[in-house]
Amino acid sequence: MALLLLEETITQLLFVILVSPLFAGIMAKFKSRVESRKGQSIFQPYYDIAKYMRKETLIPAGSSGLFLYLPYISFGVYCLIALIIPVLIPAPIYFTASADFLGGAILFTLAGFLKMVAAIDTRNNFSAMGVSRIMSFTFLGEGTLITVFFAVSLITGTNNPYVTSAYLVDHPLSNLTLVHVFATLAFFMIFLYETGKIPLESSGLHELGMIDEGMNYEYSGKLLAINKWSSYMKQYLLGSVLLNVFLIPWGLTSGASFLLDLPVMFGKWLILIAIIVIIETSLSKIRLFKIVDFLAAAFTFSILFLFLTELIP
Amino acid sequence: MIITSLVYLLSALVLITAFYVQGQRYIVSMIRGQFFQSILIASISFLLAWLERSTDLVILGILLIVLRGIIVTILLERRVPDRKHYIFEDNVNVPYLFIIDLIFIVVSVFIIYSLAFSSLVPDYSFLGSSDLLFPLLLFFQGIFLITSRKSTITQVIGYIEEENSLVLFALFLLPIPVIIEASVFLDVLALVIISVIVNKEKPVHEVMEALRG
Repeated sequence: MALLLLEETITQLLFVILVSPLFAGIMAKFKSRVESRKGQSIFQPYYDIAKYMRKETLIPAGSSGLFLYLPYISFGVYCLIALIIPVLIPAPIYFTASADFLGGAILFTLAGFLKMVAAIDTRNNFSAMGVSRIMSFTFLGEGTLITVFFAVSLITGTNNPYVTSAYLVDHPLSNLTLVHVFATLAFFMIFLYETGKIPLESSGLHELGMIDEGMNYEYSGKLLAINKWSSYMKQYLLGSVLLNVFLIPWGLTSGASFLLDLPVMFGKWLILIAIIVIIETSLSKIRLFKIVDFLAAAFTFSILFLFLTELIP
Repeated sequence: MIITSLVYLLSALVLITAFYVQGQRYIVSMIRGQFFQSILIASISFLLAWLERSTDLVILGILLIVLRGIIVTILLERRVPDRKHYIFEDNVNVPYLFIIDLIFIVVSVFIIYSLAFSSLVPDYSFLGSSDLLFPLLLFFQGIFLITSRKSTITQVIGYIEEENSLVLFALFLLPIPVIIEASVFLDVLALVIISVIVNKEKPVHEVMEALRG
């Protein structure tokens, strides 16, 4: 039993670390096919990471140790999050007991905060601009993230994500309650914002639209590879919470046949990628100062329906 | 069960249209938001009519579509000047309005509900006491829309939202007095016609103007 648990833990951790760049690659490939381009290989994120690993790391003059070490720490935080939320195995594994849903949300915030501190430490104007943009949007984003988790805990009476997921599998009708629908919508809006998808942010180093990329501006070589990898993991983690707790909680198994979860998770991600590609290719990017409107709408949804949860049976 | 869920879902959509109108800068889009809101309330009326086998509610739904949905929308849209798709209000700060609106409606509904409604309503309400939240939330959103905007058409739309909330309120309370409903409709129609005339003279109302001698 203990051995099985260890296997599950190692599988989940390695799956998140190793496969998360693949989903980013598949998403880019799908998007380019929809746009009638040939597109890059789906393994391009791996090639990028390998290339960055071989390159020289430049350290800006005047930066401190924070610049050097914080990428590794935030990578570690994402690895910890990979163990405490149901991103592959639907039953608790080692380290799951170390935090609940809110703990997961706080760890996401912590990792984001560490990246911001590291970016400010470079003393580059573009990095500082990226950080100030993030700070002016994130106050609504984080509020929504936490409120959505509150809403889910109110539906199911617990704030353990594994219990929530199991409850939603057992009670299919509670997936259709008003609060769940709107919590899902709000979480999806936050997912689009946090992973820098198109109505909010066109990723790339164009300073007009850049938010998250601004923080990587001064990074190069191995540190850039670590940062890129962290953001792939972040996308995978948030997307898997969206899939396993909000959108499609069914289909995962734990125990002896836990390896079946790998293709199931893959299939679920293909659905999510299809949704995202449709959104990315059919909407145009909104202006930078309109992002806060978008997040305010998400925040309003989550608070309003949190309020209604208590009163509607 | 499914009907109840549908009614909740439609009521939630009504609230969302109210937020849409609140966050909208373009006048024509606001008028169409109000149109959509009225249609949603009419569909709630039809659903309840089907559930209760009541012809009153069917009449109410048809009245809603014809008077609130079509006539009021046409009257208001005619008042928007020629280049109507480009006419917008200045100084609409969406995050600020949304958050203040949210705080305002939640606090006021909470106070009213806990003071007055909780002891009065349960026996007469259709789905349970909580469904009356939706009309109350809509009512306060109408009030907030009037106070937060300056253009006359927007303020009229705020008033229509309030009246919509009265209709929704009456829908959820059984039995409904149709005479009162009809008078509410005619009231709004008269108001819109008068406001159309007023609006021709004066499209924007500033806060302090009423107090000037």
